[in-house]
Amino acid sequence: MAIDLTLSIAARALTVDQAALGVIGNNIANVNTPGYSRQVPVLSAASEQGGGTFHLDGGVLLQSVQQILDPFVAQRLLAATTDAAQKNAVATQLTALVAQLDDLGDSSLTTLLGNFFAAASAVANQPQDLAARQGLLGAANALANEFNRRSALLAQLQQHADDQIVGDATQANDDLAQIAQLNADIARETAQGGQANGLRDQRRQVLADLAQKIGITTQEDPTTGEVTVASTAGPVLVAGGTVVNGIATQPDPSNPKTLSGNTLHQVVLQTPSGALVDVPAVFASGEIGGLLAVRDGNLPTASQNLDTLASALATAVNAVQTQPGALDLNGQPTTGVPLFNGSSASTLAVAITDPSKIAAALSNQPGDNQNALALADLATTVQPALGSTFAGYAASEAARLGEDAQQAQGLATASQGVLQQVQNQRDALSGVNLNEELTSLLSFQHAFQASAQVISVVNSTLEELMQIVS
Amino acid sequence: MISRIADIQIFDQLRTHATGLEATLATLQGEVSSGKRFQTADADPLAAGEVLRTTTTLGALAQYTSSVQFGLSVLGAEDSALGDAVQIMTRAQEIATEQANGTVTASDRAAAAEEVHGLLQALTSIANTELSGRRLFGGLALDAQAPFASPDDPGYDANSAYNGSTRDFSIKVGSSASERVRISTRGDAVFGSSLVALQDLETALRTNGDIAGTIGALQQGQQDISAERTSVGVRETQLQTLQSQQASLTLNAQTRLSTLQDADLATVLSQLTQGQIALQAVLQAGAMIAQTTLAGLIKL
Repeated sequence: MAIDLTLSIAARALTVDQAALGVIGNNIANVNTPGYSRQVPVLSAASEQGGGTFHLDGGVLLQSVQQILDPFVAQRLLAATTDAAQKNAVATQLTALVAQLDDLGDSSLTTLLGNFFAAASAVANQPQDLAARQGLLGAANALANEFNRRSALLAQLQQHADDQIVGDATQANDDLAQIAQLNADIARETAQGGQANGLRDQRRQVLADLAQKIGITTQEDPTTGEVTVASTAGPVLVAGGTVVNGIATQPDPSNPKTLSGNTLHQVVLQTPSGALVDVPAVFASGEIGGLLAVRDGNLPTASQNLDTLASALATAVNAVQTQPGALDLNGQPTTGVPLFNGSSASTLAVAITDPSKIAAALSNQPGDNQNALALADLATTVQPALGSTFAGYAASEAARLGEDAQQAQGLATASQGVLQQVQNQRDALSGVNLNEELTSLLSFQHAFQASAQVISVVNSTLEELMQIVS
Repeated sequence: MISRIADIQIFDQLRTHATGLEATLATLQGEVSSGKRFQTADADPLAAGEVLRTTTTLGALAQYTSSVQFGLSVLGAEDSALGDAVQIMTRAQEIATEQANGTVTASDRAAAAEEVHGLLQALTSIANTELSGRRLFGGLALDAQAPFASPDDPGYDANSAYNGSTRDFSIKVGSSASERVRISTRGDAVFGSSLVALQDLETALRTNGDIAGTIGALQQGQQDISAERTSVGVRETQLQTLQSQQASLTLNAQTRLSTLQDADLATVLSQLTQGQIALQAVLQAGAMIAQTTLAGLIKL
């Protein structure tokens, strides 16, 4: 009987070695798969088998295929992912804003303000020269166009941020549905005695994707393998195979921050009954949180400051142009003939097309340039509404936006560093090392060969016995 | 302590370092090609704000310099014209002194009257001088009617010959509203007394009137012109001083701007070389690590 047992032990060893080689092959195949957790075959010695006089140990058993991971590192990874995504979203938006405003370019707002007042000074030197007057109108048009461009750019960036928020919310909701489905699949496989390692890896990837959008925490049920996903702000999002609170967006006409007049969207929770519930804290972090902060904070502030500058400029220039006694080239009063129309960056426009309508004089004396000088003086006049000169305000605003972008970039780099560290911790434990796997591969290959050799020896022994009998 | 390293970590690190170095090289390359230390405000916000303010200052200085140059050209032309006017008045006084002598004949007086009329015409012409189409002594009006009536006009009266501007024309030469310099000379104020005195002298010569009595007025007229010429000279000097100051301020601002934004090419090129070497090293290290695997050493 012992020889039968030996054959059986060797045969089982072959099966176990084959399975182990399969696990290693799977690890090697996933060496570059993001989020993949390496697996190891857990072997144990089988209990005694046989009867009568001989007692042999039962060979080897493959108890399980274990995933190597640390749940605490996994939680930290989710938190770091959320933080990095939030900081990165803010930095990306503000960097794009600064780049597109192009404050250090040849057509910057400060340059165009300088050109406008230089043109006013040229009119002061040549008050009756139509070319100089046309130059002033040209400079005014260029300035108004730049205000319009910047205003439109801010509105456009805000619209893009809003579109991205809607897209992120849709993606996050899809993630919740996937997690619920994967939970159900994992519970089913676990109930059937499986380990569902592949499904768990898939779920971890979806959780990482969700953590980029919003802040989440997870809690795994050790019995069923299901995870409960909750917002870091509290509300449960997924429990078992059910999405408890979905993520949706709805137009929010009451949001006053819109720059284009288009209705912005609100991100809300959606209960199973379909009711939409506004819980802002749930969406204060992650990429959605970062985008919301820029959409409703940085961009409206920049727009407001731009409007303040445009309004102050139009008011001051028009006050000189239309002041009592101001006269155009034909000696006509210019009261009611402003140079600029509009009182915001988006509406600012040059109101006159006829250069002779510029009020350069304060009297009908030929060649009078008193009003043109007053207009040129505005370049260096501290405006009460701004607390600075026009160019000084524009320069400070450019520096402020640059500072915001630089700070956001610094925070994004720091949080990316933290994410990288946690990712390294996770990969150091759970990632695949090819040399390690190849060593194991050799080990199980040799074990397989040895077991095959055992079978061969048993076979020879049996053949010899058979020859003796025959 | 690092206990084990996954392959994905090695290549992630390789990728991170390589892309980081490439980004640095791209930035340095941008500095070399543009000659500027930064292109956007987020690279150095404080310096960016300062650059914009300095650029504004440079623009304003260019504007003041342009005005000063314009002012100098106008005052220079005025100075020249007033110099000619002084000579006319000197000659008129010589004629008056000669003709006041009782021995001159009627024909001498008639000839002198003709010469004085010519002087009156010449002074009027000077008072109507144009510079690039602008009347120097008529408020610097462009393409305007001559501010002084011609002595040959019927009913000419020197007392009311002026119909030009009575306002001063100033230029802006500094940042504050008070930093202005008058560059116009009111024709009636500077030439009025001389024209009246010349007309009176001509009348006295033609009517054998009190020729000697006009000498005082002629002297006063000349003094008025000379006084204005002195004033013009003072303002020319003032503008020249400002021009020199503005050149100095412009140079300072340009130096400041250069310090703020110009790339230090020697340093940048050195950093560029360092970066290229580092990138090469990272890529070589990656290639070596990729080759050093068990799979390459054993035959399974």
